[in-house]
Amino acid sequence: MRSPRTMISMGAAIVSLALVLAGCSGGDDSGGDAGGTGTGTLKLWHYESANGAMGKAWDRAIEVFKTEHPGVTVEFERKAFEQIQQNASMILASDQAPDLMEYNKGNATAGLLSSKGLLTDLSDEVASRGWDKALSPSLQTTAKYDEKGVMGTGNWFGIPNYGEYVMVYYNKALFQQYGVTVPKTLDEFTAAMDKFVAKKVTPLGMAGAEYPAGQLYYELALSKADRSFVDNYQLYKGSVDFTADPLKYGADTFRDWVQKGYISKQSASLKAEDMGTAFIAGKTPMIVSGSWWYGRFASEIKKFEWGTFLFPGNKLNAGSSGNLWVVPEQSKNKKLAYDFIDITMRPEIQTIMANNGGVPVKADLAKVTDPKNKELIANFEAITQADGLAFYPDWPVPGYYDVLVAGGQSLINGSKNPDQVLTDLGKAYDQGVQEIKNG
Amino acid sequence: MTTLTLTRSRVSRKDPDRYKQGTARWVVLALVVLTAALVLVPFLIMVMNAFKSPADYSGNGPLAWPESFQLDGLKNYWQQVHFEGKLLNSIIISGSVAMLGVVLSLLNAYALGVGRVRGRIWITGLFLLANMISQEALVYPLYSMAKSFGLYNSRLSVIIIFTVIQSAFGTYLLASVLGTFPKALLEAAALDGAGRWTTLWRVVVPTVRPTLSVLLIFFFIWTWNEFFIPLVMLIDNSTQTVPLALASLQGDRLMDATTTNAGALISLLPTVVFFLIFQRTLTRGVTVGAVK
Amino acid sequence: MTRGKAGFWWYLLPGAVAFTAIVAVPFGANLYLSLTKWSGIGDPRWIGLDNYTRLLRDDVFWTSFRNTAAMVIAMVVIPTLIGLVLSATLFDVIGRRFGQKTASFLRATFYLPQVLPVVVAGILWGWLLRPDGAVNAVGRAIGLGEHDWLGDPKTALPMVMLVLIWVQIGYPVVIFMAALQRVDPDLYEAAEIDGAGWFRRFQAITLPQIRPETFVVALTCTIAALKVFGPIWALTRGGPNNATTVPSYFAYNAFFNKLQVGYGAAVATALTLVIVVVSIGFLKVQGRVEES
Repeated sequence: MRSPRTMISMGAAIVSLALVLAGCSGGDDSGGDAGGTGTGTLKLWHYESANGAMGKAWDRAIEVFKTEHPGVTVEFERKAFEQIQQNASMILASDQAPDLMEYNKGNATAGLLSSKGLLTDLSDEVASRGWDKALSPSLQTTAKYDEKGVMGTGNWFGIPNYGEYVMVYYNKALFQQYGVTVPKTLDEFTAAMDKFVAKKVTPLGMAGAEYPAGQLYYELALSKADRSFVDNYQLYKGSVDFTADPLKYGADTFRDWVQKGYISKQSASLKAEDMGTAFIAGKTPMIVSGSWWYGRFASEIKKFEWGTFLFPGNKLNAGSSGNLWVVPEQSKNKKLAYDFIDITMRPEIQTIMANNGGVPVKADLAKVTDPKNKELIANFEAITQADGLAFYPDWPVPGYYDVLVAGGQSLINGSKNPDQVLTDLGKAYDQGVQEIKNG
Repeated sequence: MTTLTLTRSRVSRKDPDRYKQGTARWVVLALVVLTAALVLVPFLIMVMNAFKSPADYSGNGPLAWPESFQLDGLKNYWQQVHFEGKLLNSIIISGSVAMLGVVLSLLNAYALGVGRVRGRIWITGLFLLANMISQEALVYPLYSMAKSFGLYNSRLSVIIIFTVIQSAFGTYLLASVLGTFPKALLEAAALDGAGRWTTLWRVVVPTVRPTLSVLLIFFFIWTWNEFFIPLVMLIDNSTQTVPLALASLQGDRLMDATTTNAGALISLLPTVVFFLIFQRTLTRGVTVGAVK
Repeated sequence: MTRGKAGFWWYLLPGAVAFTAIVAVPFGANLYLSLTKWSGIGDPRWIGLDNYTRLLRDDVFWTSFRNTAAMVIAMVVIPTLIGLVLSATLFDVIGRRFGQKTASFLRATFYLPQVLPVVVAGILWGWLLRPDGAVNAVGRAIGLGEHDWLGDPKTALPMVMLVLIWVQIGYPVVIFMAALQRVDPDLYEAAEIDGAGWFRRFQAITLPQIRPETFVVALTCTIAALKVFGPIWALTRGGPNNATTVPSYFAYNAFFNKLQVGYGAAVATALTLVIVVVSIGFLKVQGRVEES
């Protein structure tokens, strides 16, 4: 009979066949050239869509980079947001890490990785290339992290290339039809919404299953808040009381708005995409959401006029720098990565962003052609100059996003009252902050 | 459920011949076809949206008939994600796993089902553990192992992992089937002087070939649609698979629904084609043939 | 030449080696991680059983296990029952009265959702169940009014169950129909001539014939139900307010969103323990039935 040895050799044959099929390992990195400027490979990853403002601007930046570095191959890949969000620490801890990568700002992401030594300290480059001059103080907050990974102070671990903020988008046609004017104060805002409700129109689009509910709750809270609240809430500089204003006001008013019919009771399961497409379809008079919609609305809304205004009466607004350029510690070509970041900070690239509905960090307003785009950027500059960026409600604690979504859904479908929701939010917040402080 | 079968049984018991000539069989057909149509509805919606322009989708919603049929979504998707490369990766990974998984299952099941080695129920249970452990639990350790063997971001790592995970199911199913393998056939082979190895390939394999085909199809499709472990282990274009390419369309806060649908349609097609080609083998199915 | 059973052990060798490397060792590592506090980077810190004591006090953990019961109903009980009836109908009525082609086509239709990547299935159903989606459009048309199906804690879980039934149903149908190929068609003819109605034939011929497959389907689906992740992730992310959360999603959340790898490992270990206990019970019952 045939011996087990035959069997094993068969098995070996099959495995080696699979090896050949699989072409050994997929990662053959040829970019070994370290210090040089002229040769090697720049492995670049980001997750902005190709037809968005950032995607277009950075495509141009790649071209510029290629002409200035003729000997260098650029290996660009568009990644899945989900993959980077989930696996960044694994990727950056391996020798497969890219040389330059877009990454989320905040303590739970860039902060954590910097504190574990996976990101390169960019402080020297920032000083010598003058990147800090392009960035206002509230944009710098999300670029610097201390040794525990808490943002605001410490060394530079990322460079933001654009900004973002939450505002109100409105349908001019519907405003005209129902005789509503752009509100300047919170009272005018609610009065405007009353007018729609009286005509049986739900004035405010909402999406309970994702970020919009949390951001509205935060905007409402911010209407009663000052900078010290933001510092306490986001940077743990003091204690945060979930049973008192401004957070109590945020939750109470949110529920109140649902009960008054400003927000649909049936929006708990909607995703942001649903809310956005409903606005594009002209079904919703207003949505409170971020500048990331801007370019898409500009290209897809053809049937009616639309505009934006800042959340009425707020001095503080949800918003921050955009995602960061980070250079992994394992990067094999850090010099090339710095060169690329430098190109994206140039007015030429920043202007492309501005003209496509993005919010550049250093805009040359004179070169922005569309008056609407100009307004978008001017509003952002007004906020940053007044030190009005308050970041996002889910930032302080890892995993807080899900807690906020659950809370928002309860406020929408009425399964819990605002006090119960605040208790849940407070419990998760306190636990999370405790974990961060203990390291 | 029970009430349904009971009422049906009462009808049929009264008049068993109704199925032959009467209208009852048409009623049954209509019911089954209706159920099948309900199953198909979501697919129709997907196909409809795959051919819309983004503005059409945003303006008229997902359920409206497309204003015009556009192939742009499909074309964009193909180019954006370098679909041909992803397709090749998926075929290599799913194909290798299907073949290796079946061979591994067969070897295990031969010892457990035909060999009836001692403690076989416990061993079967142990193998099934591969199927029982939630994948999240394995991810961090598998990542460290792959990294230390230089297999992180390689198709081989995923092939090995899923060969083991899929063969857990294969071992269980095949061992159950081989447990009822006709003794007469084995004895006849032994009388002819065939050893275990020969018996496996000359007697057992031909008899259970239909079952092996079913396993092959299942393994291929299951591996094709795997998302979580490939997402962790495969990180760039040279190794990533079709479902991962689909995920790369979903941005931080935005999702382009028409392209997503177009991508879903393209991603689905290879497995549907594969299934349709091989579905005939399913007819012969999970059976220990030649029992007569 | 070696007779007897000892020689069969060799055939388990490749499986055992692969199993050890891919399942046993990583699971051991997971067990260790469950006794530490770790964010996924750096060195894990030993904290003993803290994660487990915290688990027992965590309400969400208990909710997730309660929801698992619903998953078992949606992924095992209902699909298996419907699958039995459908496959028997397709084989006994449709196949014999309307031709094998019709039966094959319908079977392929029922299997289609199994081929669809689960993430895509989630997106599709999300649309259908939206407040302004197709389900509500139908509801309004027949005067039932509308509802936020996935947003109301009372209806979210039933809707998730509905989607899971849709996804699962093809699997038992394919396996059961394959099993029925073993049956001699003359048996049904003979039974019919003897005056046995559809239900009588179902009871006396179909059920005993496909008993082994019923066990395989029930066990594999139970395991899948206990560790279900994809559909929850794609449809509701456990919401609203944890109404649809399941252990796997809970573990995933701890692993990747909260960066509490040690805690996630503890959840995964507890889940695995439950699955193992259930599976052993299953295999024991199956062993007893096969003996008799």
